[in-house]
Amino acid sequence: MITLQGLTHVYPGHRKTPPHAAVRDLSLHVPAGEFCVLTGPNGSGKSTLFRILCGTLTPSAGRVEIAGADLFRQPDAARRALGVVFQSPAVDKQLSVRENLRLHATLYGLGRGTLAARLGEALEWSDLEGRLDQRVDTLSGGLARQVELAKCLLTRPRLLLLDEPTTGLDPASRMRFLKALHTLQRQRDMTVLMTSHIFAEAEAADRVAVMMGGHLLALDSPGALRDRVGREMLVVEAEAPDHLHAALAESLGRVVTRHGDELRLEGLGRGDGLALLEQVLAEHRDAVRSVAIRRPDLEDVFVHITGRDPGDAAGPAAEAAEVPS
Amino acid sequence: MIRIVGALAGREIIRFLRQPNRVAGSIGQPLLFWLFLGSGFSPTFDAPGLEGVTYMQYFLPGVLMMLMLFASIFSSITIIEDRDQGFLQGVLVAPVPRVAIVLGKVGGGAALAVGQSLILLVAAPFVGLVPGWGGLALILGAFVLSALGFTTLGFAVAWGMRSTSGFHAVMMVFLMPLWLLSGALFPVATAPGWLYALMIVNPVTHALRLVRLPFHMTPGELAADPAYLAALAVTAAWLAVCLGLSVWRVRRVETGVAPHRAPA
Ligand SMILES: Nc1ncnc2c1ncn2[C@@H]1O[C@H](COP(=O)(O)OP(=O)(O)OP(=O)(O)O)[C@@H](O)[C@H]1O
Ligand SMILES: [Mg+2]
Repeated sequence: MITLQGLTHVYPGHRKTPPHAAVRDLSLHVPAGEFCVLTGPNGSGKSTLFRILCGTLTPSAGRVEIAGADLFRQPDAARRALGVVFQSPAVDKQLSVRENLRLHATLYGLGRGTLAARLGEALEWSDLEGRLDQRVDTLSGGLARQVELAKCLLTRPRLLLLDEPTTGLDPASRMRFLKALHTLQRQRDMTVLMTSHIFAEAEAADRVAVMMGGHLLALDSPGALRDRVGREMLVVEAEAPDHLHAALAESLGRVVTRHGDELRLEGLGRGDGLALLEQVLAEHRDAVRSVAIRRPDLEDVFVHITGRDPGDAAGPAAEAAEVPS
Repeated sequence: MIRIVGALAGREIIRFLRQPNRVAGSIGQPLLFWLFLGSGFSPTFDAPGLEGVTYMQYFLPGVLMMLMLFASIFSSITIIEDRDQGFLQGVLVAPVPRVAIVLGKVGGGAALAVGQSLILLVAAPFVGLVPGWGGLALILGAFVLSALGFTTLGFAVAWGMRSTSGFHAVMMVFLMPLWLLSGALFPVATAPGWLYALMIVNPVTHALRLVRLPFHMTPGELAADPAYLAALAVTAAWLAVCLGLSVWRVRRVETGVAPHRAPA
């Protein structure tokens, strides 16, 4: 459904800012009917990639094919297949919910009858029922976001692009939206590409892509990505992490990674964690505050792949994202 | 296409009507301008070719032009916020002809300007400006043409601008002078040579003529008046150029620079 080949985008610089390569030689194929979640640190080029896919930004180099049409040669064919939810709000705040939906339907050539028939499916997951005639600027931030999402479901796109669609939604409506999205996606065989910083959202995806510094670092199913970090991992919290870090590495003969104040032994096979835990306690009981065996989740994978850990803002990722001139 | 233009224009009108302050301001401001400036200047005012016309009468078409200019600025300024971070993002990725986006925005803005002008026109008989029915039709036509001219001009300027403060700057050094040098405040004919030249190449001067002359001449006289016909041609050309420019700007997509600086 989406094929990207050698996609590169360099934002032109200005007097004070040098040109910035936001997407670098990226190739990606998302087959029809797939639910793909794109994640990556802030500024890794996700929104830039989205703007290219929407046709509002022409890349420096590379090819984009959407629904079999070359995006740059037949933009209209690609646009018809597309539904987009932007990172920043694109509803008119001074119009009511119903007026917004009606206007959107008109832009996509839907008649009044079709609009009425589809209103239900676009809204059933939301909290907007009974608020259709309220102006959007009188809705809460999360409810306004729901209007945005309802709007894009209305046109039954074959390919849905969502840039952090659930920011500002409470956990309950986020879950309801995702459930509705997954259901609609399966029913209509819709392709979904969604960016998200919420890893729980990625767990349900068919594949997860991780971007950093404009590169695609990984693209795999959530399960396969987890396996990169191993089946199990041991997380040790220390009184003096520096000291224990060295001691553990020496006594266990394994790679110990440090994430903030946590020490991690990653890449363990199933059942290996317990033996290792006993060994850690036997040899370093006094230096250990707590120790746990965890099944890695996607957050751990993200940290593992991007080398970025939450406690250390200037990790290797920050350097990798610079553009060498 | 027509439905899309209508829907986008309708949005402009609904938004306007939902802001009572804007409605009051857009009529009130030119009205006050006209009353204060018009009464302040000498009532015995003799423009060449317009003998016996009072300044209140002379200034009314100028005030109408100012109203249109401001209406166009208000309608264009929203483009800047809407395009990168707002409503227009969604319109731009919709499968709609780019011309429809321009016509919708501009049509809505111009309809508002014409509506406001018609309200202000009610004041004309009170200062003794009473055009005939034919003249009235010509004035209405002039309203439509110049309102479209101003809104497309605003559109072409605002599209591609990143900040509203930049737009304010352009407005002050470019759009306001267009109005000041249009014969709105003082006649073109009596201006010194260099100013005369500036005024005569200013398209707003010609749009203003289209509005002013039907108050003082019959349609028959106008049809034979070369100045009026020239004004019609210039205004139409102005509109066509700005419309073309607007569509061209909307069609243009921001492009990345050559990747020679990208890392290996
Ligand atoms: N219009 C622009 N001009 C110049 N540089 C830009 C522009 N837009 C984005 N960038 C730069 O391109 C890089 C990628 O930005 P982008 O918005 O694609 O990141 P992102 O992955 O969406 O981040 P986030 O998670 O914060 O939304 C950033 O370094 C950003 O500063
Ligand atoms: Mg982003």
